[in-house]
Amino acid sequence: MAWELASFSSNLIGEARVEGAEVEIVPPGAPVRVTHVLDAVEPRVRPDGRPAFPMDGKAGEGRTNRLDGVVVLSCLDFAAEERPLHEQEAIVDLGGPGAVHTPFADETCVVISFYAPDGARNEQLEAHARKQTLSLAERLAQQTLEAEPEQVEAFELGEAEGLPRVAALIQLSDLGPLYYQYVYGSPAGQAGLPRVVDPAEVLDGAITCGEYHWAAMRNPTVFFQRNALVRSLYRDHGGRLDFAGVVLMRGYEQSAADKQRAAEAAAARARELGADGVIITTDAGGNSHTDVMLTCRACEQAGIRTTVILAEETDPESTRPILTDWVPEADSIVSTGNVEELVEAWTPERVLGGDTLLDGRPAEGAGPIPVRNYLGAANQMGQLALGARAE
Amino acid sequence: MRAVHYVNQFFAGLGGEDKAETPPTRLDGAMGPGGGLEAEGVEIVATLTCGDDYFAEHEQNALAALLGHLRELRPDVLVAGPAFGSGRYGYACGTLVAAAVAEGIPAVAAMHPENPGVDASGKAYVVPTAVNVAGMRDALPRLAKLALALGERRELGSAEEEGYLVRGFRRNYIAERTGAERAIELLLGKLAGETRTEVGGGLDRVDPPVPVADLSQALVALVTEAGCVPQGNPDRLQSVRAQGWFRYELNGEDTLASARYESVHGGFDVTLANEDPNRLVPLDAARALEREGRIGRLHEALYTTTGNGTPVVVATKFGREIAGELKEAGVGAVLLSGT
Repeated sequence: MAWELASFSSNLIGEARVEGAEVEIVPPGAPVRVTHVLDAVEPRVRPDGRPAFPMDGKAGEGRTNRLDGVVVLSCLDFAAEERPLHEQEAIVDLGGPGAVHTPFADETCVVISFYAPDGARNEQLEAHARKQTLSLAERLAQQTLEAEPEQVEAFELGEAEGLPRVAALIQLSDLGPLYYQYVYGSPAGQAGLPRVVDPAEVLDGAITCGEYHWAAMRNPTVFFQRNALVRSLYRDHGGRLDFAGVVLMRGYEQSAADKQRAAEAAAARARELGADGVIITTDAGGNSHTDVMLTCRACEQAGIRTTVILAEETDPESTRPILTDWVPEADSIVSTGNVEELVEAWTPERVLGGDTLLDGRPAEGAGPIPVRNYLGAANQMGQLALGARAE
Repeated sequence: MRAVHYVNQFFAGLGGEDKAETPPTRLDGAMGPGGGLEAEGVEIVATLTCGDDYFAEHEQNALAALLGHLRELRPDVLVAGPAFGSGRYGYACGTLVAAAVAEGIPAVAAMHPENPGVDASGKAYVVPTAVNVAGMRDALPRLAKLALALGERRELGSAEEEGYLVRGFRRNYIAERTGAERAIELLLGKLAGETRTEVGGGLDRVDPPVPVADLSQALVALVTEAGCVPQGNPDRLQSVRAQGWFRYELNGEDTLASARYESVHGGFDVTLANEDPNRLVPLDAARALEREGRIGRLHEALYTTTGNGTPVVVATKFGREIAGELKEAGVGAVLLSGT
């Protein structure tokens, strides 16, 4: 069954109001720096009345409406006493040299700034902000229900026999509170991963972000909704490849044995899909890279060729090794950039989200900021065009 | 644009091996291959030269004298060589261009890719040449092109585009296609038999050491990257990208009590760990083993840092420093807890 995605003009954007938070609509191209960003979400609504971010396991069916060129950015300044141990600074620059590191600079940005009431704990605050953000994204798209779409895309995989069969293995973090990706509202570790899903589910709100680790290596919700890898595979299906499907797998399995077991299970799912080759994506940094490498090895050992997408974390002054982990089977890697490189200083006209960066610098005159602090800049699903090469 | 050219005594026209002891010398204008560079548009205001043996035997003095000339001349770019396959000449070229770049003078050398001078060139650029002087005509235009670009402060592209040897520095760029599209290209290529990669792997593999012969006689130390510090973090250990490591005396303590210790690690949720820091650094269990005589004695100091986003070079330095202290203290085994 085909899933349809209907695009509507950004003029249909609804009233942006959230109780207990400040909301501001920033027009495209405004010289604004947004700080303390948790997530980015595209406004969506379903004409059949079901939720845009469903919990029922049934995304990727029927029709979904989207506002074109609009993104909701949620910002939260966690309470200082808990903050340093958790979320890292996440910035979106809508102008200046940092604007090349975001796809949102030429979109309408709806920025919600949540504030931490006294005594509120990080986990409660995060859950509140996440739910309010998804809910606002849905309300913002309400007016599309009475309007005509500008474009309707159908997502369906027909026969494509005789072409190389390619699957996407998409890693989702689960490293505990504040480091969860959600599948139909459940943390990745409780979502029965690895498992096969219809690629349309990825694009249709089945996965939402609650993972606030390294900003550049984060997979915000909108990067699933607009997933470049899944869309590219749909586009190439029947042309130069046969899109076999998507396997969701967990990152940050907690023991060596669990990591190995999960890697082999992901390879087994890919085999069940009949994949000749898989593209393995990465979520966040550190030991999730080990999960990716073990999965790469398990697939190669199962006779499935692999390409891995990941970011580099190299000191720009060093020529020493640059990957967190590596296996010899990982002989085909796309680099989504070196997150340690600095982005030139910029003085925005306005700052939203919070005036002081987590390292204490004023957001307005912070000086150079490493790529690692730019939301999704080195996204390891390959959402953007950043790369790194040897010079 | 003003260039200074470095050549050895032979290419400066001072003589062959018999003149290899020539000390650093400054000559006006272009000499030898410098003429070929000028023909390509590189204006050479002075030629610096030094005998290959002199440089090898008096590196500090030679370098200081040559840098002195460079500071006086203040060129837009320093060009060195081509040294082809000559090891001593290449090493002098590489060492000088590296030192020039460190002083803020753009610099480029030319030599054979296997010349040991390539490794000495640091952040300077090296243009590859043939192994011997027969490659001069081919090398000079390419060397001149890079010298002009550097002298004019043009932003250089990749090694492949500009024709210099890869130095290994990884630099970001905006590709024509998304990472996703590039991944599909790479995978389809690999399935068709052509495997390519945008970044090579290769890691330091640390071989497990041989087991400690007799733990009951060994002095055992506790080392961690778990960011474990005394409550309040008196020395301000960073929660990410640690700038250093710390040593805390244990003074016979039996346990890492939560009232006295905490983790400031920024890479995971420390809530549970901070309820019992022994689960990050097992002092309680180590003391029990000590009492039972299964380990000889516990070293009375805890070594700690935060292992989170630390560049490999920095982490390697921490490791060497800590290992040095432990060795001096006679420690025979380490329990290294990671997170």
